[in-house]
Amino acid sequence: MLTAAALCPAAPLLARELTGADPVVPELRQACREAADALVQSDPDVIVVIGAGEQTRTWDDDRARLNLSPYAPGPGPALAAAESVPLPLGLGGRLLDEAGYHGRRELQEAGADEPAAACAALGASLAQRAPRVALLVMADGSARRGVKAPGYLDERSAGFDAEVGRAIRDGDLRALLTLDAALARELMATGRPAWQVLAGAADGARPTSVVRYDDDPFGVAYLVASLTVR
Amino acid sequence: MNSPRDRPDGPDASGMLRLGKHAFAPGQPLIMAIVNRTPDSFFQPGATWSESAALDRVDQAIAEGADIIDVGGIPAAPGSDVGVAEEIGRIAGFIAAIRSRYPDIVISVDTWRHETGRAACEAGADLINDSWGGFDEQLAEVAGELGAGLVCAHVGSQRPRTRPFRVAYPDVMADVLAQTLRQANRALAVGVLPDRIVLDPAHDFGKNTWHSLEVTRRLAELTATGWPVLVSLSNKDFVGESLDLPPEHRLSGTLAATAVSAWHGARIFRVHQVRESRQVVDMVATIRGDRPPARTVRGLA
Repeated sequence: MLTAAALCPAAPLLARELTGADPVVPELRQACREAADALVQSDPDVIVVIGAGEQTRTWDDDRARLNLSPYAPGPGPALAAAESVPLPLGLGGRLLDEAGYHGRRELQEAGADEPAAACAALGASLAQRAPRVALLVMADGSARRGVKAPGYLDERSAGFDAEVGRAIRDGDLRALLTLDAALARELMATGRPAWQVLAGAADGARPTSVVRYDDDPFGVAYLVASLTVR
Repeated sequence: MNSPRDRPDGPDASGMLRLGKHAFAPGQPLIMAIVNRTPDSFFQPGATWSESAALDRVDQAIAEGADIIDVGGIPAAPGSDVGVAEEIGRIAGFIAAIRSRYPDIVISVDTWRHETGRAACEAGADLINDSWGGFDEQLAEVAGELGAGLVCAHVGSQRPRTRPFRVAYPDVMADVLAQTLRQANRALAVGVLPDRIVLDPAHDFGKNTWHSLEVTRRLAELTATGWPVLVSLSNKDFVGESLDLPPEHRLSGTLAATAVSAWHGARIFRVHQVRESRQVVDMVATIRGDRPPARTVRGLA
């Protein structure tokens, strides 16, 4: 069953080397490190990293590599595409590495268009992997939270992200299953499938939560939180 | 002569670029001066919103050495909608005014819409700067029909007036080559003449700063295609993020990128600051040996 979860954004700039000389968001990275540390310390049998991508599939952890070169090409060798995982999973894997986690790990991609019911079913199956399953959920809110945001301003983004934040804070994960996939796509809220996998894994349990970061410094909603199921 | 075998399938063998009444040889760098008919572009917003201020800017740009005047009616960044009629209203009369004042200057129109391209060419424009990479396929057809030139730009998968969000490329330069060459081939197929087609890697469009730096570093791969290459570097975010400077302080960085691009063989430079850019591209052309020094007596007397 699900015993713990951590939420972190899947933004490329989480990788320190992508922001140049300026760390830009040190407090966001610190919050993610704390969330990953707490997850590792929850004594899980397995940690599943979950993130949205092109299609729903599981990646082989032995071959999975974070590949930043598609985002930051430069002089020097690039990883072959076949050896690299989608960015959310790569960033999540790195967080676990940095937290010193050497236990069993799985990398699960959820298709960006996967409907809520399929995400919930996937989450339920992940929760059966072991007696103590922990999820590292790499997910972002709307990228349309202001006129300088990547997707420009969509007034609906504030309400959408507020509802996600409320559900996480209150441990009301079932509410995440009612998020409208079409609206999420319009709002460029790429985290929708991953949140719904989390909701499916929780199977109605109401975890307690600690929110470690909740801001949108570049017009994209970043939420870092730790959830514990008692 | 109309069989597919005879249709041109690549750049003009002589490397000549023909725009309006002019024929430009390789090795002759061209300055394209930006004159925005917008109230809200990112650099000096609203400076040439009034027609009189815009005409003054044209006078100044030509006096400072501009070869091409690029007129746009819509900012690249997202913002309030500008419809087709509004866009044409902003630029067509103004292009006609430039044409009547300067019968020989090359005029280009920065638009993604074929209706605007047609109105601009009918008002006197010689070149369509399709800055959103063939989003409206009929724009190339308008260029072919009216005998105008066409700029083929790389924007990845961006739609007009959208910002890049977590864009990634296995190889950004390979994508630039594939997308711009595909557009150039299509332009040929719809009747644009081979000596009137230009490629633009479009820095910042569908690219983060790392991508724009890579494109600058590897620009020689694009100029090696034989097609004339345009670069639009002026005061852009990749310069600002490289140097941590706001738009009004990006001139030096812009000129550095201009020099590197000129060295790699770019032929058209789309700029805000004409005088400084003219000096840089002429100096690089002189270093390359494409242009003689203006006057040399040092050590020669």
